[in-house]
Amino acid sequence: MAMRQTPLTCSGAPMLRQGDTGDWIGTFLGHKGAVWGATLNTDATKAATAAADFTAKVWDAVSGDELITLAHKHIVKSVDFTQDSNYLLTGGQDKLLRIYDLSKPEAEPDVVSGHTSGIKKALWSSDDKQILSADDKTVRLWDRSTMTEVKALNVAMSVSSMEYVPEGQILVITYGKTIAFHSAETLEQIKSFEAPATINSASLHPAKECLVAGGEDFKLYKYDYNTGEELESYKGHFGPIHCVRFSPDGELYASGSEDGTLRLWQTTVGKTYGLWKCVVPEEENAEAAKARTTLPGTAEEEIGNALNCQFQLS
Amino acid sequence: MPVPVPVGVLRLPRGPDGCSRGFSPTSPRFQALLGGREEEVGAAQEARAALRQRYLRGLAAARGRPTHFSLRAGVRVDAVFGAADVEAVAFQVDALRTPLGVEAAALLRCTDVLAFSFLLD
Repeated sequence: MAMRQTPLTCSGAPMLRQGDTGDWIGTFLGHKGAVWGATLNTDATKAATAAADFTAKVWDAVSGDELITLAHKHIVKSVDFTQDSNYLLTGGQDKLLRIYDLSKPEAEPDVVSGHTSGIKKALWSSDDKQILSADDKTVRLWDRSTMTEVKALNVAMSVSSMEYVPEGQILVITYGKTIAFHSAETLEQIKSFEAPATINSASLHPAKECLVAGGEDFKLYKYDYNTGEELESYKGHFGPIHCVRFSPDGELYASGSEDGTLRLWQTTVGKTYGLWKCVVPEEENAEAAKARTTLPGTAEEEIGNALNCQFQLS
Repeated sequence: MPVPVPVGVLRLPRGPDGCSRGFSPTSPRFQALLGGREEEVGAAQEARAALRQRYLRGLAAARGRPTHFSLRAGVRVDAVFGAADVEAVAFQVDALRTPLGVEAAALLRCTDVLAFSFLLD
């Protein structure tokens, strides 16, 4: 059986969709405010969401049931599972990082303070031994066992997104028109690229050959990671793009936009994968020609204001 | 650079079906990951189905028969059972005998009915 991947999208209510086809699996109902962050655990059996209703919730991603509600003192922006799914990291407007033991959800979480403005993203790194967190102007690295700050990085402009790539310990940060790559261990910059417009999100291909980025000019840009050369730009969205993410196998990437759609793009156009069917010209007949779409390499679905998307192998 | 060729798509992604929240227990994903619980789910569902069927047959059997209703606050009345609505919000009865006289047709609120009984031939 081929790999099944399931991306998570945030709209009015967070939805779970099949990664390779985009088919809807279910909707998580329960939050009373905008959902700012969503994530799946390693085997896509659990989901966690962060919302403006001051709670983070943990869900059963198979039955759709709400498992745990974690009350916070302000809007929660980011959630991340450890690889063993036993701990949940949360961060939000109250400027505190919280680590919850999911086997004891009633217990008080470990709290890490130090940020001076609202936390936008918080991620486990280095095999869950460290934590990376970003607020408006800084990216900080914390040691989990001592709960202290190891390093801080000042960023020139407001951080719009941050992603961690375990293979190679790379941190992908976007701010302004910049897409920057830093070492996740030292926070030293490896390289950076400038895009033609303000970028809200970027994703590195698993093989680190290329990266995709999207932002305020509604376009998706593909760059060669090694040379920095802009390879392609794709039009399709009718609103600013807020999130792009490659699938774990790198065969497709998803983009979420203010236009209310989530779009799936093929990395190698013309390949048969998911819902894309490579049609050899000799096999065409009149019926097949009518069924073809005119948009190269995209499949789209209206789902609501898509702010966040993430893939998980299952 | 070669001109990009439009790519065929088998279909568009399926969207939410509007009424349910999804996570269908009959989907292959659910079966694969939670299929182990199927036996108890199956047995409970069968029990539910059997009880529901018995309830519906009971209502059907009551139709047209003189029925005795025990209502709240110790009220007891006799009537001829007519019908029940889909959600069992009300029972329609004929010839309802009340202290004020006999009502040709009436509705009894199900929430007021504690029990009712009738004789089978």
